[in-house]
Order: sequence, then C-alpha cells, then structure tokens
Amino acid sequence: MTELNQVTNEFIRGEIDEFVERPEERERMISMFAACRPEMLDIGAALIEGEDGVVDELTRAQLDAGTEALEVMDDGLIAGMALVGIKFRENFIFVPEVLSCARAMKAGMAHIEPILSDAGIEPVGKVVMGTVKGDLHDIGKNLCIMMLRGAGFEVIDLGVDTSPDDFIDAVEEHSPLVMGMSALLTTTMPNMGKTIDAFVDADLREAVKIMVGGAPVTPEFAEDMGADGYGKDAMECVAIAKQLVGVGSGA
Amino acid sequence: MPEPLDQEAYQRRLDRLSEMFGSMMETVEDLTTKRCPYKNKEGRCTAGFGCRNQRKPPQKGEKYICGGDDKLDYRSAWEVP
Repeated sequence: MTELNQVTNEFIRGEIDEFVERPEERERMISMFAACRPEMLDIGAALIEGEDGVVDELTRAQLDAGTEALEVMDDGLIAGMALVGIKFRENFIFVPEVLSCARAMKAGMAHIEPILSDAGIEPVGKVVMGTVKGDLHDIGKNLCIMMLRGAGFEVIDLGVDTSPDDFIDAVEEHSPLVMGMSALLTTTMPNMGKTIDAFVDADLREAVKIMVGGAPVTPEFAEDMGADGYGKDAMECVAIAKQLVGVGSGA
Repeated sequence: MPEPLDQEAYQRRLDRLSEMFGSMMETVEDLTTKRCPYKNKEGRCTAGFGCRNQRKPPQKGEKYICGGDDKLDYRSAWEVP
C-alpha cells in the first residue's frame, strides 16, 4: 500500500491528510498523487488553490520543456480537480472556490488546446454564454460554463448584464453553433425574449441555436419566446448544447 | 511509451471530467437549498450585486461579510438593479 509520505508535494500531502476522510478514497488519492512527478503536483496544488496565474505559468513551462499534454491533463489538472471535488462534497470549500479552481483549470487548458488542435482534435462546438441585460447573477451561468468546458466545448463568456447588441456582436464575431442565455430574476427573464427578437430583427436568428435557462425559466416560457432549447440546470445545459450541435442524444 | 494524443484518449479525459463535474453539480443542488452560493468558505460575499445580508468588511477593499444565517431563503435578500 502506498503511504502518504510518498506524495512528494507537502501542500497536497496536507490536503489529503486534512480533507480526504473516506479510507478507500484516501488510498486512491495517495496512490494517484504518489505516482505523479513533482512538477505535475505543483500544477495540481496551484489548481487546488485556485491560482490561475500560477497554473498558467507552470503549464506553459512544462509543455515548453516537452512534457506530454496528456500527462499535464492527467497528473496536474484532472488530479487536482479530483481533490477539489472531494473537498466540495465534504463542504470544506463552496461554489466560489470551485469556480476559482475551474478558472485555474481553464488557464492550464488554454495551453493544451493548441496541441489538441495540432493533433486534429477540435472542440465539440463553440458556445457563447451570458446573463441577460439587467441581471447580475452569474453563478448558474458560470457553473454551466464549467460543465460545458469539461465536456469539450469552447465557451466565450460574455459575463453578466449582457445586452441584445452584445449577444449579436459576439455571435457575429465568434460564429458559435450555440448561444446560451441565463436569467435568475422574473423581472429580467423577458429580456431573453427581447434578445431573441433582436436576432430576428438583425436577420441572424438562423445563424445560431439559442438555449436558455435559470431558476424562473420554464420549458413553456422557453418555447413561447422561441428558444431552441431549455436546460433546468448545468447538467441539462450540456445535454442540450450537445443535442443542438448534433452530438449525443440530449436531455 | 506515452499514450498517443488522439480523439479517443482526449475523450476519456473529458468523460472523467464530466463525471467529476456531474458529482459536483449534485452537491451544488443540495447546497444551494441551505447556503447562498455566493458565500465563500470564509463567509465572505462574492456577489457582484447588492444583498441585504452584506456586512461591512473590517478592511477597505475586502469582500463583504455575509450576515445571512442560511436558515432563511437567501434569495429574498438579493437586491435587483
């Protein structure tokens, strides 16, 4: 059996010791991290801390030094995220911390994507995402983005309070297959419909599939406003996006 | 011999990530019924909008302290523009 002291990174050793309580999981984590090179553990540690700048720098350096992209993914980014998942499940960290770790993962993946592209591996599809005009709530959207990126989509995040013109500009600039709109308030939910109308007026409605979601949104409301898809949560968001780009069976 | 970087190898990593994130979403689903999702592990508010539960931080420039008790529906405290 691999022992905790065989994990060479002190920070990760401490994280396992403090946060991984289930014996079988602890054993799995120890054996996984003990098999990783120290440079990969540094990337994993920075990801667990949500330090996107450090992940960016270390990933670049490792790839420049000739480390295989799959090793960086497996032993740095995905291994780090596995520990993040355990800490989150056990309520040692919460949604804001998870989203910081997801940002750190994105920083690392940004260096891996060109290598994937060179190997002929392209994103599942491109998605533009934003919270609608007047709405500043971003957690739901950010969780959807994390899930979409994890499923292999390229995502352009327009942030919060996104006007119809901003959505139109982004679709014209990036030519995504799918655009996602989020709203948390009943007062801002109609702005989804207004944005779709703006696409019709700009003669761009056929240029992109539009999916919507958010706490007050219902499938009926989505259909009435002319959306192509509705997801009740981040899991469904991915299923709908896949369906709209023609991969998988959808929700 | 390193594993070749191809679509299948990459897809296996994506599947693993999706599985991990899927489990996280189950936690999110459960957690958001009892804790504001904008409240971080230090009990500070990360929202980019006003909330009646926000309390002044001790140092200028720090994040607001969340004064919510997590027993009420936190959404009713959120202020809309």
